[in-house]
Amino acid sequence: MQSRAGFLLGSLSGLTVVAKNADFFGRALAQAPLSGLTGPTDDHVLVLVNLQGGNDGLNCVVPYSMPQYYKYRPTLGVAQSDVLRLNDEVGLNPNMKSFKAMFDRGQVAVIQGVGYPKPDHSHFRSQEIWQTADPEGYSGTGWIGRYLDAAGLPKANLFNAVAVSQVLPELFGSRTIDVPAIDGNLRGYGLASDRKAGGAAAFRSMLSDTTQPFDSPYLGKVAEIEANAQRGSEELPKLVDNYKTDAQYPATILGRSLALASQMIGSQIGTRVIYVTHGSFDTHTSQKPTQDRLLGQFSDAISAFYTDLASHGNDKRVLTMTFSEFGRRVAENASHGTDHGEAAPVFMIGGSVKGGVYANHPSLDDLDNGDVKYTTDFRSVYATVIEKWLGRSPQGIIAGSYPSLPIIAA
Amino acid sequence: MLATSSGSFRPAGTLDAATALLPYRGAWNTRGAAHLLRRAGFGGSPAEVSAFAAMSMDAAVDRLIHFPDTSQLEAAPELVQDTRRKELRAMGLTTEQIKMLGKAHLDNAVALMQWWIGRMIATPAPLQEKMTLFWHGHFTSAYEGKGITAQDILTQNQLYRSYALGNIRKLTLAVSHDPAMLKYLDNRDNRAKHPNENYARELMELFTLGIGNYTEQDVRESARAFTGYMLDDDDQFAFYARQHDDGSKTFLGKTGNFTGDDIVNIIFQQPAASQFFAKKLLEFYVYSDPEPQLVDALAWQLKKNYFELAPVMSVLLRSNVFHSERAYRALVKSPTEFVVGSYKLFSLPQAAVGKPILGAMTRMGQRLFYPPNVKGWDGGAAWINSGTLLTRENLASTLCANPQMMQTATWLTQNASLDPKTLSAHIVTQVLQGDISSASRAQLDAYLNGAGTSALGMLSGENFDERVRGAVYLAMATPAYQLS
Repeated sequence: MQSRAGFLLGSLSGLTVVAKNADFFGRALAQAPLSGLTGPTDDHVLVLVNLQGGNDGLNCVVPYSMPQYYKYRPTLGVAQSDVLRLNDEVGLNPNMKSFKAMFDRGQVAVIQGVGYPKPDHSHFRSQEIWQTADPEGYSGTGWIGRYLDAAGLPKANLFNAVAVSQVLPELFGSRTIDVPAIDGNLRGYGLASDRKAGGAAAFRSMLSDTTQPFDSPYLGKVAEIEANAQRGSEELPKLVDNYKTDAQYPATILGRSLALASQMIGSQIGTRVIYVTHGSFDTHTSQKPTQDRLLGQFSDAISAFYTDLASHGNDKRVLTMTFSEFGRRVAENASHGTDHGEAAPVFMIGGSVKGGVYANHPSLDDLDNGDVKYTTDFRSVYATVIEKWLGRSPQGIIAGSYPSLPIIAA
Repeated sequence: MLATSSGSFRPAGTLDAATALLPYRGAWNTRGAAHLLRRAGFGGSPAEVSAFAAMSMDAAVDRLIHFPDTSQLEAAPELVQDTRRKELRAMGLTTEQIKMLGKAHLDNAVALMQWWIGRMIATPAPLQEKMTLFWHGHFTSAYEGKGITAQDILTQNQLYRSYALGNIRKLTLAVSHDPAMLKYLDNRDNRAKHPNENYARELMELFTLGIGNYTEQDVRESARAFTGYMLDDDDQFAFYARQHDDGSKTFLGKTGNFTGDDIVNIIFQQPAASQFFAKKLLEFYVYSDPEPQLVDALAWQLKKNYFELAPVMSVLLRSNVFHSERAYRALVKSPTEFVVGSYKLFSLPQAAVGKPILGAMTRMGQRLFYPPNVKGWDGGAAWINSGTLLTRENLASTLCANPQMMQTATWLTQNASLDPKTLSAHIVTQVLQGDISSASRAQLDAYLNGAGTSALGMLSGENFDERVRGAVYLAMATPAYQLS
């Protein structure tokens, strides 16, 4: 048993830091509990899966009915007999069996040919465009960040949105809401010096002390976010601790990330948007083994995620959307890989989705310098999510006006 | 969260525009010297701060402005070949060989980062490196795609160093001939028959004038002027007359058979150019969202000096506004400032900047040579979110656990007191220049004292090492340490 008079503050690489802090501990305990921790169970949650590196859309949702596909893909083309058929035109990569089963249950909408005008082939820039929804400029805020600003979510809730990633993605760039970046197993989320004891609360007042002998326009913000960071990293593991599940997630980063997502969703901590990543899909050489493995992992992790959600009655309130910075060049290259391309399909997944295949598959006869041309502007997809799922007007969040897609069950 | 025009981070209080750029004649002490070293460099070791405080303010600024000889610093790293993969495939390399080259890219990136950060730590001319960082974030190019090689990036970095306090117009001309830039913004593909506007547009929008100070027609005309600014087979700048559109162009009200160089020279005749650079310099060196009158005053200095930066920075670093309470700790340290400043605080050798430190810099939001986009790093409030701040605190914890630290940071151990209050005062002075509240100070005292903790007890020679490391870590975790 640890005494309250002097408890471990953690260790700094072998040396133990101990503080006298009865006062601070008491103060820490007296902190008001996090508000916004219990939300109504019908609150919609959006989960974004970033297929990083540029997922080859043509070998993911295969246009097996188009002869040109096999001309452009002499070694990489997925054989007609292997394709998991969705309709008379396209089918899924054979490694996506569990995902195909979800499609068959009407839980998957495939939106074909999603992209934007004047496509950029740089990973950086195209990721930025997808995350900011600003192909023309550099808006400095993300499309989800602008939603968070507009939604008026309780600022005191530290988990309105969560990135399960090392670095906060640009899509969360917000003017008002601080979004934590957390790793899937919660290990790296927190103070290193606090890992052994959980006592860093003692220094909360020190880290977030705004009564400094100087004035700085940034002092309040730094102190507030320091407090958020420390408090959040202490609270989250406790908040999600009671969640139990029998779901079997694959032992992959994506599996772990979605398991944590399900835990947060099921713990009713008011989280509206969760971001996870999977990759890398940047398959310039020997694409097949890499993409096959990644798509199989994706399929199994998503399937486990919805099994888990359904067993807790959450599958209908969680919409999952994939995106990738671009698809890949139609013609395979000499290294059995594909280079950076343009449009690609987007998946919408969940118990509230109207399953099916949407929008036209891009023509393989009318290419843009070797790349498929987009048939659906990605901002149409975003506007749909904002309006039909998150219940806000896209105005002010997505610049311009884009038609809604009929992919959400009313 | 991000800074926005609606949420200004301009300091409270009022600017005295009439005296803002006049030389500061107020008190000069370690606090002021540390401020000057943080802004015009990356912070000083306690010894450097004392040495600067012992000079006059003018002498301290002179020391920073007139770069001493830096030839003894480590030479740039040997780079390995990192030709773009597309070209390699054309050469018929195997997948294995291509993978090796992917590794070469990463090795080069690490070598370049370690070299530059090491240089920031070791240099006797910190303002030279600080200005190089400023230009890197301004005239951005990234070591990512577009056939940009490590050598291109190193060449560009050396260009920014050589123009650190040089002439901004001449630097802009050099940038317009720089291989990394010609690749990054596609001007290598800008031909008379197929103009590519990317560089011409960003040159005005992000590099010199800002949006609203030119028209779309000016973009098109200047792109024509930059046609033929390309690269030869050795990736060196070459002007290809046959690819150049030598017809008449009308640009910002002037008409002639302009080249790209003419475009740059016309740009620097615009009043908006001096305003643009004045604002950017003030935001980097003084405080966010500077008042228009202050921008005007510094813009006038730029014009008066024909865009020579040394005399302008000389005025700025001596000025009342720079040394004012309003500017004090009014900026957020960039991750680079945080890392380099901490290394200097402990006098840790630059060789100790390993991959974990570089990884932490990425998580803090600043991976050198990989600016997030052509606009560079937003800075300010964009450096602050719970992920980046946790990384800062954890990095401080790692550095405080560095086995060498107690030897290299001699200020910690020489004539050290075992009286907790004296020791905490010393730490607070050296790490934070005394910028701590009495409440936090009391906590630090209590921590060092160990009073009431039966496990450890009073500060003693036995627990001195760990107690001091813990206290320094706590000082580095305070909000003040995140601010410059």
